Amino acid sequence: MSIDATSCKPRRGFMDKLLRRGPLEAVATTIIAVGVIMLMQPFSLVLYSWSFATTLFGTVMFIIVSRVRE
Amino acid sequence: MNDLSASSQIAYRAALVQPARVHRIRGLSDKALAWLFITPTIVLLLAINIFPLIWTIYLSFTNYRANRPNVPMRWLGIDWYQTILTDPDIWAAMQVTAHFVIWTVLIETVLGFGLAFLIDKKFRGHGVWTTIILLPMMLSPAVVGNFWTFLYQPQIGLFNYVLAFFTGSGASSFQMLGDVTLSPWAIVIVDVWMWTPYVMLICIAGLRSIPDFIYEAAEVDRASKWRQFWSITLPMALPFIMLAVLFRGIENFKMFDMVNLLTGGGPGSTTEVASITLKRAAFESWRTGYSSAFAIILFVTVFGLANIYVKALNRVKSR
Amino acid sequence: MSIANAAHSIVEPTAGTRRFAGSLVMLYAVVTMIPLIWIVLTSFKSPDDAISYPPKLVFQPSLEGYCNLVTTRSRQTPEFIQTLGPPQGLCDGIARERNMVVAGPSNYVPRFINSLIIAFGSTVLAVALGTLSAYGFSRFRVPLKEDLLFFILSTRMMPPIAVAIPIYLMYRVIGLSDTRLGMILLYTSVNVSLAVWLLKGFIDEIPREYEEAAMIDGYTRFQAFVRVVLPQATTGIAATAIFCLIFAWNEYAFAVLLTSGNAQTAPPFIPIIIGEGGQDWPAVAAGTTLFLVPIVVFTVLLRKHLLRGITFGAVRK
Repeated sequence: MSIDATSCKPRRGFMDKLLRRGPLEAVATTIIAVGVIMLMQPFSLVLYSWSFATTLFGTVMFIIVSRVRE
Repeated sequence: MNDLSASSQIAYRAALVQPARVHRIRGLSDKALAWLFITPTIVLLLAINIFPLIWTIYLSFTNYRANRPNVPMRWLGIDWYQTILTDPDIWAAMQVTAHFVIWTVLIETVLGFGLAFLIDKKFRGHGVWTTIILLPMMLSPAVVGNFWTFLYQPQIGLFNYVLAFFTGSGASSFQMLGDVTLSPWAIVIVDVWMWTPYVMLICIAGLRSIPDFIYEAAEVDRASKWRQFWSITLPMALPFIMLAVLFRGIENFKMFDMVNLLTGGGPGSTTEVASITLKRAAFESWRTGYSSAFAIILFVTVFGLANIYVKALNRVKSR
Repeated sequence: MSIANAAHSIVEPTAGTRRFAGSLVMLYAVVTMIPLIWIVLTSFKSPDDAISYPPKLVFQPSLEGYCNLVTTRSRQTPEFIQTLGPPQGLCDGIARERNMVVAGPSNYVPRFINSLIIAFGSTVLAVALGTLSAYGFSRFRVPLKEDLLFFILSTRMMPPIAVAIPIYLMYRVIGLSDTRLGMILLYTSVNVSLAVWLLKGFIDEIPREYEEAAMIDGYTRFQAFVRVVLPQATTGIAATAIFCLIFAWNEYAFAVLLTSGNAQTAPPFIPIIIGEGGQDWPAVAAGTTLFLVPIVVFTVLLRKHLLRGITFGAVRK
C-alpha cells in the first residue's frame, strides 16, 4: 500500500490535478449559481430558457463530482 | 414508601444483571442495529418525499389533470418544459421572485449583521434583548403575515397611521397592499421584520467564533478599528454570513405563505412570486402535468442551491 | 474566552460604546415588538375600537374578540332576547348587548384541537425516528453516510407547493386526504430531517466511552443506547422536539392546500374569520394571540438552542 502511494505521487500530472474534487466542485457550484441567475435575470428570454438545463447540468455534475476521490 | 424503593432497587439490580446473559444469547450486531435504526426514517422519506417526486417527474411529461382523472393520459415528452421556459409570464414571475429575494436578503443581511455587531459589544442585558428580537422569527409566517394586512389597512391600520404621522401625508392616501409600486415593498417589509433575527443570530455566532487574540494582535500593530473591521471581523464572519444568505435565499425563493396571505399575488400580478403561480396552476386551474413540470424546475433550482448550502454548512462546522 | 473576558483586555469595548450599542439594539427591539403588542391589544378591543381612527392606544378592554372567536351568534330582536332567562355565561352576556345570542361553538375550537393533535403527533413520531437514525449515523459506519444525510436534509428544502401536488394525488388514492393521519405523516417527513441532523449533533457530543463502559458491564448495544445514551441526550431531544413542534404548529402551505375541513389546522383558518360586514379584527387578533402564546413560551425555553436549531445543528455555540 505505502509503496503504491509513494510511487504514484510523482506521476500526478496536470489533468490529474485538475480532476480532483476541490476545483471540480467549485466549477459545479459556479454552474449552479449561473443557472439560478439565468433563471431570474430580467435581460434575456433566451438565457431564461436555458437556465433550467444549466442548473440541472450543474447539479448532476456536483453529485457526480462529490464522489470523486478526495 | 421504603418498600417501594427497595423493590425498585432490586428490579434495577436484576436489570443490571440480566443483560450479561441476554448479550451472550442474542445481541444484534452493530451493523444490523445501524440499519434497524436508520431504515424507518429512510422508508418514511421514500414514501412521502421520493416516491411523490418520481411521480411528479412522470406527470410532468403528460397532459394529466387532477380534476379529470378519467381522461386518458397522453405522453407529451418535454413539451411542458418548453412551454414554461419560453413563457414570458413565468419569466416575469421569476423576476418578481428575484426582486423579493434580492431585496429581502440584502436588507436582512445588513440589518442582521449590524445588530449582531452591536450585540457582540455585550452591553448589560444583551441576552434578554436578543431573545426579544428573536421572537418574530419563531412565529407562524401565515398567522402573523395575515395580521400585517390589518396593520397595512389604509385609514385604520397602525402602519399607515405611523407612516402618515411622520411624513405628514394622509393615512388613507396610500395603500400598501393595493398599490402596484408599494405592494412588493409591503411584502419585503414583513419578511425583513420576520427574518432579520435569523441572520442576526447566525452572525452573532460568526462574530463569537473570532478569537480575541487576533484583535489583540491587531491592537498591538496599531491597526485602526475601521481596518480591523474590514480585515478581521468581516472576512472571518463571512462563512457564517454566507450560510445565512444562502438559507434565506432558498427560503425566500420558495416563499409562499406570507405572500399568499398579504397580497395573494396581486394587485394584478405585481407580487406573483413563483410559488403563487405554481399554486394557481396546480390547485386552481388544475393543470397538473404543466404544474408538475414547473414544480420540477423549481425543485431542481432549490436542490442545486441546497448542495451549495450544505457545502457552506460543512465549512462552518469545521470551524 | 474566560481569561480574555475576565482581564481588562485591550479589545474590550468601552462603557460608552456599550451604552450606545445597547440603546440601538433596544430601539430595534421595541420597534420590532410593536406589531406583536398591537395584536394583543387589538384582541382586547371592541370591534368599534379596533377600527377607529386614529388607532386607539387607550380603550375599554373587552373580551368580545375572544368570545366571537370561540362562539357563533345569531341576531335576534330585543323583544325576543327579553323573553330569555339570564345570560348563560360571559359570552352570552356580551352577545346580548349587541342583540345577539350565542348559538354554539365556532369552528376555531376544532381547528385548534387539530393543530394540537397534528403538531404533537408528528413531533413524537419525528423525534422517535430522528433519535434512532441520529444514533445510527453518529455511532456506526453507514455506507454512503454523507449522501444519506444530504438526502435527508434536502427533503426539507423542497418547495412546499411542489411537494403538495403529488401528495395531493397520492393521498386521494390511498384515502388520506383531509385526515389528521395524513397531515401527521407529512409533517413527520418534513420534521424528521431536522430531527436527524439536530440530534446527530447532540449525540455526537456524548462520549462513546459511556456506552463502551456499559457494554463491558454486559449491556447489549441496544440496552446501552436506551439506558446510557437516551438519558444523556434528554436536553437535546427536548430541544429538538420543541423545534419540530413549532414547525408543525406554524405550518401553513400544506395545511391550506391539502385540508379543507376535517383536518384543517388553525393557521389556514384564522385568516378567514369573518364577522358581520368584513373581517372581525378583534376575533382574528384573539385567535392569533392564542395561537402565538405557546410559541413565545417555547422560544424563551429554547433560547440557548435556537442557533443550533436554525443551522441544522452545524453551529453549536
